[in-house]
Amino acid sequence: MSRRLKYLFFICIGLSIVASFFITHEKVHFWWEKIPAFDALFGFIGCIVIVVGSKALGHKWLQKDEDYYD
Amino acid sequence: MIDIVPPAFIFIFGAFLLPFLRGRLLRQTVQLIVPLIAFVDLLYMHHGTYWVYNFLGYDLILGRVDKLSMVFGYVFVIVAFLGMVYALHIKEYGQHVAAFLYIGSTLGVTFAGDFFTLFVFWEIMAVSSVFLIWYRREKPALDAGFRYILVHIFGGCVLLAGIIIYITNTGDNYFNAIEYGGLGSKLILLGFIINAAVPPFHAWLSDAYPEGTVTGSVFMTAFTTKSAVYVLLRGFAGVEILVWLGAIMAIYGVVYAVLENDIRRLLAYHIISQVGYMVCGVGLGSEIAINGASAHAFSHILYKALLFMGAGAVIYVTGKRKMTELQGRNLYKKMPITLSLYMIGAFSISAVPLFNGFISKTMVVAATGELHRPIIHLLLHLASIGTFLHTGLKLPYGTWFGKAKGEIDINEEELEAKEPPMNMLVAMAMAALLCIVTGVYPKVLYDLLPYPVYFHPYTPQHVLSMIQLLLLTAAAFWLYIDKLGGEPTISVDTDWFYRKPGVLILWVCSHPLQDIRLRLQQAFTAGVTKIAALSKNPVLLPEIIVRNIQLKVYTILYHNSEPPEDKLKKINELKYKLNVLKEISYKENIYRRPIGAGVLLAIVFLFLYGLIYFIKMD
Repeated sequence: MSRRLKYLFFICIGLSIVASFFITHEKVHFWWEKIPAFDALFGFIGCIVIVVGSKALGHKWLQKDEDYYD
Repeated sequence: MIDIVPPAFIFIFGAFLLPFLRGRLLRQTVQLIVPLIAFVDLLYMHHGTYWVYNFLGYDLILGRVDKLSMVFGYVFVIVAFLGMVYALHIKEYGQHVAAFLYIGSTLGVTFAGDFFTLFVFWEIMAVSSVFLIWYRREKPALDAGFRYILVHIFGGCVLLAGIIIYITNTGDNYFNAIEYGGLGSKLILLGFIINAAVPPFHAWLSDAYPEGTVTGSVFMTAFTTKSAVYVLLRGFAGVEILVWLGAIMAIYGVVYAVLENDIRRLLAYHIISQVGYMVCGVGLGSEIAINGASAHAFSHILYKALLFMGAGAVIYVTGKRKMTELQGRNLYKKMPITLSLYMIGAFSISAVPLFNGFISKTMVVAATGELHRPIIHLLLHLASIGTFLHTGLKLPYGTWFGKAKGEIDINEEELEAKEPPMNMLVAMAMAALLCIVTGVYPKVLYDLLPYPVYFHPYTPQHVLSMIQLLLLTAAAFWLYIDKLGGEPTISVDTDWFYRKPGVLILWVCSHPLQDIRLRLQQAFTAGVTKIAALSKNPVLLPEIIVRNIQLKVYTILYHNSEPPEDKLKKINELKYKLNVLKEISYKENIYRRPIGAGVLLAIVFLFLYGLIYFIKMD
């Protein structure tokens, strides 16, 4: 990835997080919806959880050689 | 004006027409015109009940037209047209026949108003679709096809059993909202969720769809699971268990997609994940949830067809289907149009604002908020992350970009690749256009939904929350970019339960059971030989048996002591007699009784008969 694209990416993330301090939920259904930038946090942590969790599950248990069923 | 006909019959008629057409151009014309006619037919169908036939005292309803069946009807016919454009270059018309039958039967299910019609079309759907797998003609495809059809036959049997019990209990065969509770309704639900690929009954999907032909799989992604979502919406809206099954399903598909190397199998796992949102919406059962599930089915059919078309195009031109074989080949330079169109599908499934996934997925998620289901809400959110991670980032990175892994030498061969045939690109472009149009202007879709829509997708908060989620997912992907590449493995799934023990069952049949069979056969043959010998002279049989028993009695009596002189003589005499008796063969003339005996018997029986008759008369 080129440097410029990298910076653009970070600027987008920054802007979206800043924006979330100014935009509030019309209707709050859950307590975490009051936290600004909750979705950003959830996205980042959730993604790591999915990757690490699934890979661990796969390597320990689910993944087999390609000729497993032959 | 010409009368409208059931849209199912238009496709089924098309299927029977195709083999009789000569000339490629004519066939291609029919391929495209049939979906168009069906679309016009749908435009003329008004709400109500049509084509009701009486059968054995039950009503068969071929056309129950209301908003719910129409929204599915429209999208099925649209994707039928797109799929036919995509498959236009295929000369083998058998594939198109199978596809037409498959589409027709799905429409039959969609408009069926009673259980019998539903069941018949349900089965045609399973049988016709398996040919879209078998037409690839390779051993893995044939095997997967057999597993696919067996699972669906099992599902069909369960459904039939449920229908019979349900009809016996309720007395009518109309297919409306089913009261969930009795055995009948549970079996019907099981039959439906097998087709909806709800874990643990989902393995047929990820097993079979990636094995289909490039063009056939596009059809498969659209019809089976989504018609199952339709029947669930019709019959089981608001059943609590579906909420949980749906949410688990959404995560389940994502987890397996992390591990997957085959590009179409990765997408297949995302079908399971996306259908999870719909099943969850069915279970929630509120108006917005039903709307959301229907809208998401509509969007999903379009973008998933587009994604399978994109992945299929790569397979079509390169002949490779695994990321470990594709990454690092710089395919983005050779197929930029395919990549761009695929990315539109990827943005749609990831619910990027302005694409159609955004306007439908947010609806289901909003329903979880309105009904205050925090855990379900978070699970669906988590699945959204996984969707973007794989379909939007990992798959395109691994297929069109990426670095080659150590085991493949990049210089070994330059992968031959170019853009796929024009018709494939056109089909993808049309699908992409529809994804964007419904995404930018959701009213076209919202007007079709079963209930009036008060939901606004484009609120600043919705858009911002989705953008944050996606951007940070991309950031995390970047961190793990080296770990996320494909690995040359397969993942065991619930199909293990019939694939591995299947081998065991085969062994049990071919070894112990076969052994028992042989032994039994031997015993029978020996018995039959003995009886055959005895029946040489049936008249003497009683005497032989009596003598034999006598002989046996003697041998048992004196089995451990020497018999006395006189008895020994008798035994020897018996043995001799038996041998003589056995030698005498049957000669008719020796045993013939005078004819009078027969007459006497007849008279005796006649007398007895008369006696009984007269006694009864009194």
